Amino acid sequence: MSNLVQTITQSRIWRSFFRHGWPDNPLDRSLVMTSNIFFHLHPVKVNRKSLRATYTFGLGVMAVILFLELTLTGMLLMFYYAPTVERAYTNIVALQTQTPYGQLLRNLHRWGAHLMVLVVVLHMARVFYTGAYKPPREFNWVLGVGLLLLTLGASFTGYLLPWDQLSFWAITVGTSVAGYAPVLGSTAKAYLLGGPEVGQEALTRFYALHVMLIPLGIALITSVHIWRVRKDGGLAANDDR
Amino acid sequence: MTNIPTRTPFSKSSGKTYTLVELVHRAPAQMIDHGPENTVFAFPVVALLELLLTLSVSAVLLFMSLTINAPLEEIANPNQTTDPAKAPWYFMGLQEMLEHGHPTLMAVVIPTILVLFTLAIPYIDNDRQGSGRWFTSERGKRIARNTAIYALLVMPAFILLDNSFPPRELLRGVVPDFVAQTLIPGTIMAAIVIAPLLVLRRSKPNAREVVLTLFTLMFVSAIVFTLTGFLFRGPGFELYWPWNMPDGYNPFMNL
Repeated sequence: MSNLVQTITQSRIWRSFFRHGWPDNPLDRSLVMTSNIFFHLHPVKVNRKSLRATYTFGLGVMAVILFLELTLTGMLLMFYYAPTVERAYTNIVALQTQTPYGQLLRNLHRWGAHLMVLVVVLHMARVFYTGAYKPPREFNWVLGVGLLLLTLGASFTGYLLPWDQLSFWAITVGTSVAGYAPVLGSTAKAYLLGGPEVGQEALTRFYALHVMLIPLGIALITSVHIWRVRKDGGLAANDDR
Repeated sequence: MTNIPTRTPFSKSSGKTYTLVELVHRAPAQMIDHGPENTVFAFPVVALLELLLTLSVSAVLLFMSLTINAPLEEIANPNQTTDPAKAPWYFMGLQEMLEHGHPTLMAVVIPTILVLFTLAIPYIDNDRQGSGRWFTSERGKRIARNTAIYALLVMPAFILLDNSFPPRELLRGVVPDFVAQTLIPGTIMAAIVIAPLLVLRRSKPNAREVVLTLFTLMFVSAIVFTLTGFLFRGPGFELYWPWNMPDGYNPFMNL
């Protein structure tokens, strides 16, 4: 058995993929982090204080997890959904009644979205109350506020897609608020809806925003957000003495 | 090799051509007195913690999805309004605000101020001291708690009073619309925000304590308005107890 393990881990194929040995010593534990694209945003060593559960409650990581799970379930939903006034609603009904695990898939995406909004808001409160926005992290706070607004935008644009009474009137109420803003308000509303009221043009635009533009924005800004956490010396918990 | 200084800081070995120094820029820097001794290797601890979080979040989400179905009503019908017509829950605070003043004030001016204030927080409070600890100090914790209690009392009182004696209705035709719909609600809101700051001013607060007050007021008020709009508004957007809604309306059907 150990012979087999050794043969595999010393084969050229294995070694072409993992460029470090078994991580049971400081060097290989460092190399795990620096030579792996999924780990490389982490530092090689972390301060014990920043790992305290009652400091972060893991909220930032949870937001990333929920975003990834929403991306996954969202892509699966795209296989069953056409953003047209004629087909959107019947697609959802068919997904729920005829597709195996279709209802579960939609439930995961719906509740995941609500959870993500909640987790992102709580993450912001955590960062504020621990004073983690203070210099040198000012701009990362600004990026975080942008991510909160994008999260709300992602959830709001997704709300219209089932094209039922709930979505239609929620978006009608929501976008009418934008219309109250002087000068820019009516323009913003016109760009968002593509017409005087919620219809096919609005559905097309909300769909494009929901599956492409906003997720790309979140992915990009999240990358910068996490990168800056590293560049600014890790979590602010390290500063406390 | 002759020009190596004989007394080299940090290095006992005379053969070394380098020294270990720490450059401190804009003191107090974060790593002074924080040697590497309080750190652990991120692998595997952090990787395992992240795996654990992934599994927990997924388990909670899966349990919710197995027990509660996402709502789906009749197909969208522009000719038939639902009653009540509500925005998604996270915008219900905004929709609740619309009940208490002119839309431009409540849905545009105040939210814009709140977003700008939120963005400005790190530039208002730019002291490096006091980060990385919940509420920064015992005094900070007290300030946050008192402000939260204040907001929990004042905001529901404002909603209830304004709902029972709405100046927009009572003063219609008596004073110009601008006074009844914008000036009066705006002044009340401003007074609610300024009052705790006046109390705080007597104890010479620092910038952190000022933003603690303002953010807590904003955060708790947002929760109060969101919950009021989401849970306590029924048909006709009237106030009801959530468990006593007419026509069998259930606020949670709107999620």
